[in-house]
Amino acid sequence: MKKQHYIYLALGIAATLLFYVLRVQAYEAIYSVPGFSDQFYNAGLYDMIPLITIAVPWAAAAIYYYAINSVRFDRWFHWLLVGGISTLLTPIIGYAVNQSVFADLGLSYGAESLSFELANMVWAAVMFVVASFAMRWWSSNCRHTPIPQ
Amino acid sequence: MRLFLFAIGGTGSRVLKSLIMLSAAGVRPVDENGRPVPNIEIVPVIIDPHKSNEDLKRTEALLTAYRSLRQRLYGNAVNADGFFATRFVTLREIMSEGTIQLNDTFIFNLGAVEREKFRDFIGYDTMNEANQALTSLLFADYQLENRMNIGFVGSPNIGSVALNEIKDSDEFKAFANVFNQGDRIFFISSIFGGTGAAGFPIMVKNIRQAKNLEINNRDVLRKAPIGGLTVLPYFNIEHNDDRRIDKADFIVKTQSALYYYKDTMTGANDSNLNAIFYVGDQEVSKPYTYDPGEHGQRNRAHLVELVGALAPLKFAGMPLNRLSDPDGYPLPTSAFEFALDKDERDVNFLTLRAATRRLVYEPLVRFHLLFLYLRTGFRDQVGQGYTEDAPKIKSDFLNSQFYRTLTDDFMRAYVDWLVEMHDNNRSVSLFSLGETDMNRAITRVATRKGLLGHKSVDNNVFKAEMNRLSRDAGYSEHTVEYKLLDLFNRAATRIIAERYEAIN
Repeated sequence: MKKQHYIYLALGIAATLLFYVLRVQAYEAIYSVPGFSDQFYNAGLYDMIPLITIAVPWAAAAIYYYAINSVRFDRWFHWLLVGGISTLLTPIIGYAVNQSVFADLGLSYGAESLSFELANMVWAAVMFVVASFAMRWWSSNCRHTPIPQ
Repeated sequence: MRLFLFAIGGTGSRVLKSLIMLSAAGVRPVDENGRPVPNIEIVPVIIDPHKSNEDLKRTEALLTAYRSLRQRLYGNAVNADGFFATRFVTLREIMSEGTIQLNDTFIFNLGAVEREKFRDFIGYDTMNEANQALTSLLFADYQLENRMNIGFVGSPNIGSVALNEIKDSDEFKAFANVFNQGDRIFFISSIFGGTGAAGFPIMVKNIRQAKNLEINNRDVLRKAPIGGLTVLPYFNIEHNDDRRIDKADFIVKTQSALYYYKDTMTGANDSNLNAIFYVGDQEVSKPYTYDPGEHGQRNRAHLVELVGALAPLKFAGMPLNRLSDPDGYPLPTSAFEFALDKDERDVNFLTLRAATRRLVYEPLVRFHLLFLYLRTGFRDQVGQGYTEDAPKIKSDFLNSQFYRTLTDDFMRAYVDWLVEMHDNNRSVSLFSLGETDMNRAITRVATRKGLLGHKSVDNNVFKAEMNRLSRDAGYSEHTVEYKLLDLFNRAATRIIAERYEAIN
């Protein structure tokens, strides 16, 4: 294995950790509404949603590169399809969690939660790209997807 | 070790062609324990005055293609593993700089023999009357009038005179000078024709009498281990009123030549020849077009030639103590024959005996799968998977000299060879010709059964295996040509073991 591949993996993990450390700023940069954002913070959702936004794309990338890992699904559009599914799935799960937590608190932020999760698709997509470029190198069939090494 | 391989006459060229195909597939000489013999180079020398013989031309073209492909794959390395592993070199390639100038070719230059009528060659017109009368007793008129650039037309009595010139040729001197201790010599010839039947004993005699020659290492040469493949009658020719070549003469000629060989080379205590391999077939082949030589002689490949090609490999793998005594003097002749496991007209891998199958089955299957993969799958996979690992195989590789030589020249000749053997009698059906489905490509060998039916073999299975091997191995120090063929060879080895029924 090339040393450079381990560097990519380390960089991917570092970028992901950085995202988690700077999660509040990262989310407020893409979506911030007075009231909703305060409640979001108070409910601890700025801890939970980033975890989902990290976990789903990393899991999707891992499934693509190491579970699917097929010569029949090794083209860029296959990767894009998995990335698209991950990017849609992340806000769906996030929205469900948002709504559940707010409901427990007796709050109703349906529209704001939807807008927030739509904005969160940006971070979900970014995380999928980061995860892909961190882990793809050891895949036997898909290491050159989406672009060759 | 160098194996100097003299392929004499049309049969010599055709057997050599089969040997090239086996070598391309990766069949190599093995020792008694089944291990490949290391450090072996084969120096093929084609002896045939009939330069326009189509079989000779096809073999020479094939050798040239083989040599260029191997050069790209392994450079000048003697040892290699996989496709095109055995190194074939010309005499020119291995001789040191000196006074002898040779063309870089596998064909022995027979000089005047190729240009003259036999009567001019022996100076018939300058003989006195008594000698002319004697000569006329020994040679028929058509033999005296024979223009030898079409060969000796089934007349060993011409060949035995004309080929005596060989010992004075630059090629023979070059061969004698590069021959070293440890090298071996092998002859391939038919016994029922003209050129081979005559050339074989003459060459053996000249080597064993090397002490009379003005060469450097005459002692090494006259003690050299020498083997020979004598091809007995195996093909039929169409009837023709011309009758210069007549199938009815084959057996008589063979008997006469065998008696002569017994007296001069292969007798009980005779050590002129250390090993002789006999191969022939009483099963009548499909008749070949009657052609004494004027029209090029292009004969279909035959099982006997494929079997014959195993003889030099066997000889190269024999331990030295079976060929020479402790003082280095050659031992008396050992004789070998070949038999199929089943006497059937349709020959496939299961018809061969186990020892032969162990030697040829996997290499030939790997090569055939390579042929199918290059024909049906590789082009679409360029730019994907393993081709993107360093060194990258890009689309311009498809237009490279190497790829075109491999696919246009060599593989085309390979298919012709398979088809010709298949269309002959016996019919050799190692593979299902025209079948591009790898699952059904090997005759009477299916894929293994898995949980959900038979395991599958296709281009994607190869791609996946090559992807994995390429990831783990790393070919950045190698050429793209080596990477492609080595990867495929290793992938095929694993796939054959895992996915096809075991027959060995």
